[in-house]
Amino acid sequence: MILLRSVLEQGMIYAIMALGVYITYKILDFPDLTVDGSFPLGAALTALMIRGGVNPLLTMPACFLVGGVAGMLTGLIHVKLKVRDLLSGIIMMTALYTVNLQIAGRANLPFYDNNTVFDNAFVSSIFTGVLYPYRTLVISFLLMLVVKCLLDGYLSTKSGFLLRAVGDNDSIVTSLGLDKGTVKIIGLSIANALVALSGCIFAQQQHFFDISMGTGTVVIGLASVIIGTGLFAKVTLFRITTSVVIGAVLYKACVAIAISYVEPVNLKLITAALFLLILVLGMERKKKVKQSA
Amino acid sequence: MKKKFISLTTCLILATTLLIGCGDKTTSTNEGGEKNTQYTIGISQFAEHSSLDNCREGFIAGLADAGIVEGENLKTMYDNSQASMDQASLIANNFVQKKVDLICGIATPSAMTAYNACRETDIPVVYTAVSDPEAAGLTKGNVTGSSDVLPVKEQLAMIHKILPNAKKIGIIYTSSEENSLSTIKKYKELAGEYGFEIVEKGITTASEVGIAASDLVSKVDCISNLTDNTVVSALQTVISAANEQKIPVFGSEIEQVKDGCLAAMGIDYFALGKETGALAAKILKGEKTAAELPFITSEAAEFYVNTGVAEKLGITLDPSYLPQAKESFGN
Repeated sequence: MILLRSVLEQGMIYAIMALGVYITYKILDFPDLTVDGSFPLGAALTALMIRGGVNPLLTMPACFLVGGVAGMLTGLIHVKLKVRDLLSGIIMMTALYTVNLQIAGRANLPFYDNNTVFDNAFVSSIFTGVLYPYRTLVISFLLMLVVKCLLDGYLSTKSGFLLRAVGDNDSIVTSLGLDKGTVKIIGLSIANALVALSGCIFAQQQHFFDISMGTGTVVIGLASVIIGTGLFAKVTLFRITTSVVIGAVLYKACVAIAISYVEPVNLKLITAALFLLILVLGMERKKKVKQSA
Repeated sequence: MKKKFISLTTCLILATTLLIGCGDKTTSTNEGGEKNTQYTIGISQFAEHSSLDNCREGFIAGLADAGIVEGENLKTMYDNSQASMDQASLIANNFVQKKVDLICGIATPSAMTAYNACRETDIPVVYTAVSDPEAAGLTKGNVTGSSDVLPVKEQLAMIHKILPNAKKIGIIYTSSEENSLSTIKKYKELAGEYGFEIVEKGITTASEVGIAASDLVSKVDCISNLTDNTVVSALQTVISAANEQKIPVFGSEIEQVKDGCLAAMGIDYFALGKETGALAAKILKGEKTAAELPFITSEAAEFYVNTGVAEKLGITLDPSYLPQAKESFGN
């Protein structure tokens, strides 16, 4: 139960990050490596704010904004300075490493005894008795749900449609007399804002910031998006954002299964094998749908 | 109706797990005799790293000395998070789920995630190879362990003895590693006493070690290596760059001297792990709780030397100094 619970908790938290990666990778067709820097950016800022006695609820909009600025800078480097997409992400990721160290002041910053969104008087008054251990799961689920719904809402506004148009067929945007560069910058901002928010919530769940928290985030994000969209490609019941969330949970589940049953040396290999299995299962499903159609 | 069902089943599940948990404890106390008690511990190690491996082996040896022997009355579960933070957290939760009697966290991130996972349980956490438990917030609560602070003073004295004419000591470190930053601070504080000047080079990834090393070797008389995880993983690069210039590299523990450092005043990680194992044994046997035990710091600095490297570099070692070495290597 505890492992399942922590898989779901981490799945919900990383789903917010995966939604950000979904915007850049799937919608904008922009492989954005800024993620490895903006995830710990949110964590660093959160650690600093919470240790400074700021209300934990305020850390979330703050991280969202700061992450947005990081994404905007990646966008500006790419659009205005005409640096290639991968490289502009690498540049920002590299720069953010120092920024994160400067924000936190140290490579590792704990805040075990401070209030977080998961541990405060209000939460303890609602989640009493047997419900108490489930507060992190419930709260992270609600946060994820709010973010997902807001994103769904945004994607069906005019600005959201333009975002999708830039990825699919950018000449439409140009023919409308609009600047596709601006749309890209907006997309990158929103994506990294979500990633930093996810880092903020992850730090609060773990009660500390560590500079190495961001390593491999982009891989987790891409895997979640690909697993989610691959598995549910033809299932019209879900929105794509929902599939991404499920993808994030499945990713964490694969890692957890590997951890609990496999020798440590074989961990990554088994995790990789599980991903492959999921992807292949997803493909067969697609075929069947085609045949029956 | 549905709500009722869900809450009922959760209650049932929780109740049964609680019952099973209590059952375990009563049988073990009823049996009374220490030897009949079965212990299960989970070891969460942060990365594949020879020092950390030595810690783990020492930890198990320390438990064995106290009569808690693997395979007899001890079952250990070992997991390595391979330097990934979210994986470390899942590993700790997995141990909590399996209701281990104790979790051992090796290296700071593993210790912190284990502590975080156990905060709402009564599972004690014992850590080792954490450089600054105070800064990591691991001094309060049901947690204790051992710290691996490097014996900087002894190291400087040793360098002075082997290279009396050396003025500048170069150090490569990773800017993200808290333990390296605090050690360098110590180096700088104490360097003056021996007339040394510290030249530091900060890096961020293992791939930058080569550049930093080749830059450093032209500016210093010798290089002193810390327990910095990133630099240690690329230690051969540092050693070959330094040896080309006939500059020695001093290590910080036995494995590094084995791998080609000239000498080291270092911690014996196996011994550190062993002391930690003894701490864990006290907690498992119920003699003390983790909260009552303060963390320990390895006091003993051991001298290791590699005479083969000295010969290669044309450095003559004072023959009276050699017998002081705990271990010397000839290759």
